[in-house]
Order: sequence, then C-alpha cells, then structure tokens
Amino acid sequence: MSEPIVHAPVLFYPKAKASHSDVEGAHPSSVQRAGSQPGLLPFDVRRLPDGTLVGISGSGDHTFFSQSELDVLQASPASIAPHRRAELAARFFIPNHGRNVGKDRLLRARQAARRETVTAGPSLHIIVPTLQCGHTCQYCQVSRAQSDDGFSMTHADLDAACQRIWESNADVLTVEFQGGDPLLRFDLIVRAVTTLNDFNRDSHKRLRFVVASTLHQLTDEMCAFFAVHNVYLSTSVDGPATLHDRNRPVPGRNSHARALEGIELARRSIGPDSVSALMTSTRASLDYPEEIVDEYVRLGFRDIFLRPLSIYGFAKRNLGRVGYSLEEFQAFYRRALDRIFWWNRQGVALREVYLSIILNKILSTFDAGYVDLQSPPGAGSSVLVYNYDGWVYPSDEARMLVETGDRSLRMGTVVEPLQELLSSSTRAMLVQSGRAAAVDCEDCAYHHYCAPNPVDSQAQFGRPDIRAHETEHCQRHLWLFDLAFTLIRNADDATEELLHAWAQPSGSKDRACAI
Amino acid sequence: MRNLSVVGEATEPGVYRVASMDAIVAEWEPHLRFMVLATDAASRTAVERWRAGGLQNVVHVQGDGLEEGDVVAYRPAQGKVIVLYRESDLHHTLFLTNRCNSYCLMCSQPPTSHDDSWLIGQALDVVRHVRRPPTVIGISGGEPLLVATGLRRILVAIEASWPEAAVEVLTNGRLLHDPTVVSQVFDEPPRNVRWLVPLYGHADLLHDFVVQSPGAFDETIEGLLTLQALRQPIQLRIVLVQPVIEVLEELCRFIGQNLPFVEYVALMACEPTGFALANRDLCELDLFDASTVLERASRILSRYRVPHLFMNAPLCALPRSLWPLARRSISDWKNTYADECAGCTVRSECSGLFAWHEKNWKPTSLKPVKEATQ
Repeated sequence: MSEPIVHAPVLFYPKAKASHSDVEGAHPSSVQRAGSQPGLLPFDVRRLPDGTLVGISGSGDHTFFSQSELDVLQASPASIAPHRRAELAARFFIPNHGRNVGKDRLLRARQAARRETVTAGPSLHIIVPTLQCGHTCQYCQVSRAQSDDGFSMTHADLDAACQRIWESNADVLTVEFQGGDPLLRFDLIVRAVTTLNDFNRDSHKRLRFVVASTLHQLTDEMCAFFAVHNVYLSTSVDGPATLHDRNRPVPGRNSHARALEGIELARRSIGPDSVSALMTSTRASLDYPEEIVDEYVRLGFRDIFLRPLSIYGFAKRNLGRVGYSLEEFQAFYRRALDRIFWWNRQGVALREVYLSIILNKILSTFDAGYVDLQSPPGAGSSVLVYNYDGWVYPSDEARMLVETGDRSLRMGTVVEPLQELLSSSTRAMLVQSGRAAAVDCEDCAYHHYCAPNPVDSQAQFGRPDIRAHETEHCQRHLWLFDLAFTLIRNADDATEELLHAWAQPSGSKDRACAI
Repeated sequence: MRNLSVVGEATEPGVYRVASMDAIVAEWEPHLRFMVLATDAASRTAVERWRAGGLQNVVHVQGDGLEEGDVVAYRPAQGKVIVLYRESDLHHTLFLTNRCNSYCLMCSQPPTSHDDSWLIGQALDVVRHVRRPPTVIGISGGEPLLVATGLRRILVAIEASWPEAAVEVLTNGRLLHDPTVVSQVFDEPPRNVRWLVPLYGHADLLHDFVVQSPGAFDETIEGLLTLQALRQPIQLRIVLVQPVIEVLEELCRFIGQNLPFVEYVALMACEPTGFALANRDLCELDLFDASTVLERASRILSRYRVPHLFMNAPLCALPRSLWPLARRSISDWKNTYADECAGCTVRSECSGLFAWHEKNWKPTSLKPVKEATQ
C-alpha cells in the first residue's frame, strides 16, 4: 500500500544540482527523433488508437497533428501559418525565428523540473515497524499474525532509520509507516515521529507523516498524537462491505465495518481530511466498478486510486484465483472512470489518482513524484524502505519480494550511512537495469513521461533488466497514456477543466507553504 | 503629470517640497528646499523676512492646484511647476529616463533619445523631499535598466528613506540577459522590490512585433528566468491590443506552463495615447467584444493557479464573472469618468477611464450599471 505522491511540488525551477555519477546519462533525453531537420526541435509522435497523432516535445508539451500538417511541418516549418508556428515555438517543437538563448535556458529549466523527483534526494521514506497484522488477506504475503512478536523493529534500528532519513538532501520529506499494521506498534511510530520532529526543531524541512493501517486498532489516544504531530492516515477500502470483507478476512468477518469505525474516529478526532483510502482490485472487484466508486463517494473520499493488483508474493502464487489480465482490468477501469466522471458532473468532486498521475506528467510543469515512472528509477533514488529486520530496500515492492525468497534488491542495512546506501551496488544495478530496459523506449513518444520499473520486472521475471516491451508495466502505461491523450483530445470545456485540476500536484493547493 | 502655473520668488530650478505657513516651522530641514503656500501679503512678507535673515532654502509661492506636501520640479523660465509626488494620490511614480530599447506599438509615452541622466538626480531629490512616504512607489521610464547604476542608487535611497515602502519597477527585463547589468542592480539583491514586466506573446514573432524590436522576446524570457533565480517577485503585464487578444489563450497557457513562478499577471486595457494613436487599427477595440477570450484566458491562468487581475478596464467592459478580478489602476492625474457614468451604481468600484478617452477612444461602449449590486 504505497503512497503514490512523494513530495509537494516546487513552484520555482530547481537550482541546477550535480547529479550522482551513476545517474549520468540514464535519461534518454537528447535523442533526435521525428523533428531532426533544421528548423525543428526534437520531438516524438504517437498515433493514438483512434488514429489521431500526438506530438510530444523535449519540454513535455504536446500538440495534436493531422498527418498532412505533420508532413508540412517536417518538410518546411516556415510554411506553417504564423499563429500555429508561434504555438509550436511556445511548445518547443520549433525554435524561435531569431534569438533562442532564453528559450534554451527555459527548456533546460523545464527538463530539470520534470526530473526533480529523482534529483532532489530521497524524499519518500517508508518505515516498516512490524509485520504483525490482524488480517489474513489472500494477496498479501508479508504480514504475520498479531500474536507473532518476532517481526518488529528494534529501537536501535528505528533510531538508525531516523538518522538515514535525516541525512537526505530533500527539503520535503514524507515518512510513511507500513506493515503489517503499524498501529499494532504505536510505540514505535511515536518514537520515530518524536525523534524526527526533534531533528527538525528549526523547521527547515517540511516533514509529513503517513500511517498506512487498517485502522482497526485506532484509539482516541493515537488520534490525539496524530493531530498534534501532523500525521495523516491511509487505509484500505476495497469497495462495499461484501467485497471488502471477502478480500480482507478477519476473525468476525467485519473488516469493512471496523475500517469505517476507524475512519469516522479519525475524521472526528483529527480532522475531516485526515484519512485517505486505497483499494486493491482483485478478480472479485472486476464485476463491481460502479459499486466501488459509489462506496468512495458514500464515504466522502475525494480521491480513489484504481490500481491493478501487483503481482508480488502471495498475489503471484494465487494469481489464478485473485489475478486477471490487463484487458480485464482495462474494462473494469473504464467503467469505474466513467462513473467517476459522472459523479463529477453531478458536482461531487472525486479524483482518480492513477489517471491524475498520468495527467500530471502530460499537463503540469511540476512532477508530482510518482516513483514508478522515473528515469533513473525512483526506487532506491527517491524512495527508500527501512524494513522491520534492519535491512534497507529500494521500494515497498522490493521488500515484499524478500518474503518470497528473493533478496537480490537489498541495498544494505539501516546502520550504513545514507550515502553508502545510495552508492550501493543494488542501486547502481537498478539504474543500469532501467537503462538497459529503456532501449525499447527510445522509439516511444511517451519516454518523456514514462520509464521502466526494474523492481516490477524483478518480481515478474526474476531479473530487473527485461526489455520494456515485454513487461506488463509498459503495456499498462502505453494504454493509460493513450487513454489520457484521447480524453484530452475529446474533452468538452468542463472535462478539460477537470483533467487539468487532476493534473496539478496535490500539494500545490497550499501554494504559500510550498515555496 | 500635473503641470501648474505658479507665481513666486524662486529663481533656482529644481525640486521643492510645498509646505503651508502653519507647517513650515515644524517641517523645515536644512538640506531640503521648500515652497511655502503664501496666499496673502503678510505671509509673503514673513517668508521674505526669513530669507533676509539667512534661511536660503525657503521661498513663497502662489498657484492654483498646489497641495501641501506636493514635491514639485520648478521651471522658472516657464513660471511652472510639475507635480512629481502628491500625498493624496493612490499611485506614485518616479521616472528615471525617457529612453527605451523597445518601441511598443501602443506605447503611451513614446521614448526620446536625448541624454536625460539628470532624471536620476531629480528622482533622488524627490525621495529626499517627500514628507509622508508612500506605501507603494512605482519606478518607471522609458526603460529603467538603461540606467542600471542610477536605478540601483534609487533603490538604495528608497530602502534607506522609506523602509516600509513596496517598490514596483516597470521594466521590459531585456537587459537582464547581460551579466554586467545584473551585477549592477543585484550585487545586493534589493528587498521590497517587485518587477513589472510586459509580455505580449509566446513566441518572438508575436512579442517582437508588438514591441517592434527583434530579439526582445528571448531577452525578456532570459530576464524573467534571472529574476526567478534571484527569487525576485514578478508581475507580468499584458496590454490587451488586437494582436495580443488574438493569441491571448495560448499566451496564458505559455505563462502557466513556463512561468508559473510569477506572482501575478495583470491584463490591462490599452491607454489611448502616444503611439497607440498612430497604430489605432491595432490598438483600438471594444474590450467587451472580447469577453469570451478574456474569460477563457482567466480560466487557463486559474488552471495553473497563476493569480491575475484586470487593470484599466471599466467594469462595463468586462463580463460580470471577471468583475472580482478588476482593479482601480489608472494613475490619479489621468483618471476620469464619462458623463454616462454619473448614474452608474458601481462607479465607486470602477477603474474609470483614461482622461484622453474623449478625444481618442473608450475601451468599450459605456453601459452604465443601473441595478443595485451585491
């Protein structure tokens, strides 16, 4: 259950920073493509399923072409009508007629802003205080019984994790507690939050805490602490009670009811926006897209994240029972998305997080920080996981792999300085694997927004450098980017505003604070 | 600027503060010059007696329209003063030069090319002579960056004399592409300064046409990036002439996507004077006819969370949805209302018109609002 949004956006262009040497050249940015003739800047073109052509330039700006216009542009840019020519220059498809020093500087600033997530230093830090959990979900492999107390972090390791977090260069730090169910070790959460707040006594960093939990164990005492220390809660709601309870078995078969009690308690004691929810789509979910969306509306959530099941651990073993094909997920997703649009037309604001991530890449200058679409990979660069046993991993998924016997993604132990972890052979291997997998991406227009996910490949194929085209990750994101561009292309005024609103990084509402 | 005929005993040209007979004793300082409003013979005699006694920096003056606290430039040959600063005005400006490196087709104050470096000294004198500091002081030209070291001296003087004042420098930013100019102005980055920079297009073929200067767009973009790197607050200014209205939506998209760091964008109706008269076919339009474009432009800027305002636009030139964004922005000395405005119920919130609308054109066909509002 990993938090998708890593950090609040910068509203200024970042100052140029020296990147780590192993990161150099990982970004295939300067490839000459469709626009390689004189009078054109490099850009790429993708044919959407409906035949429309979309061009994407080096700044990440896009424009739609007809085949005939594209032909004219490539043959003789000067013969394009002046206003269209100005638009293409403004979107970095063609240079300005005269001086281009300022525009070149602007292009570099735009590119730096897009890469901020992986150049700013690790900003998402996941602590796994315990693997204990009250649930026995069929797709989860990591959690252990509530009574099993051998699977929690020592105080020494927890303190070391706080030290590592504090060594990060990032100005905005999100610390997320995962499990298991971290609330079963509330004492460890208190210890970590207090330690980090003490480090930040002069408030020169923005610290944000998230506890991912079933909320079944939430108490008034916990809420009081969370309210004071700016701790947000993230929980799981899979849909209506029957579906949720089938996905998430607990003794008493009342997981949904108890989650709702926790949500209500948190909203009452901490604040109306203190809880967000994530869902896991199992095979059983696929028949209920509208019901799932309606449940989120009923519960007053403003975000819903329609995620396909990740194929790790138990999910991989039970794939036949809980899994499904990409096509099945797509059909489910489209129906759910239509329902979300319908609710928005009724005046109910509900945002689909996955499409928002994709739209952010297309429509916003500032990257919202989603770790799975970064080049070099976000795993191990912008996110680190401190596991209950003192090992450090590049992502939540990577530590789950360990429970199926694959230890290849260990970066080191929590007592090693952050710089050593960041220069570990594991991280270098991930960067190298991302680069190797991205050979397939050179011909893809979406490489401006997208990148391979080596951790995903390791889980699916047992090696991290599988070429992008062979991965489900690639197929899924090609489909999502195609879908997003098709929606943009066909949007009426109201939909256009909605898509742009979804594209803004979620932190930028509090503009003043982000500066 | 207000240009007033006066009668008085002053012989020396230069900058004076206007004071009343009652206040002069309390206000007098040795390093300033004063014109004392002396309407009767007794007052004039008193002032002459002070002078005879050695008080060389006080003269008496008579003239309609002078106000206590005015800072004026005296032109003895013409028997006139120019009011450079008036306490009761909403808007205050210091002019640093009449020269400019652009030649905008709607320029309200067409530039001149002769040496006017004395304007820096005059502006410094104004800063010294002001009695009550303004909350906001505009610095304008011409192009102030053409006199970069002078601009720096003014900014230092303002910071020292008026530490609370917010300073707004109206500049095209072009010369900030030059590191020498940047260091002349920003060796010690000023506090309390906001930079008001015009942008008339999203590509050189648009912007350079409006400012009639090749290369201007790219230099301004560089200037804006330099200002953001220095963390200086920026207001972009868009004058709504015909070639700008035609591309306004894409321009706003460009700003949202590329210049989201600007503090706000001012969308301004054209001032019907100066070059705008010569280029009337490009500058004259009924703003109300462009309502749809203006609403879309506002929506696009909002989308990117770029705050924006409308300036110089009377309320009846804007669709009601944009009224909350309209500001009273026309400098006091050239601000007026038309006869039709007499019965308008929103007149007090309205920017009104430029004084020269009578002989030139209005930004819209005036439509006085009759019903009660709010």
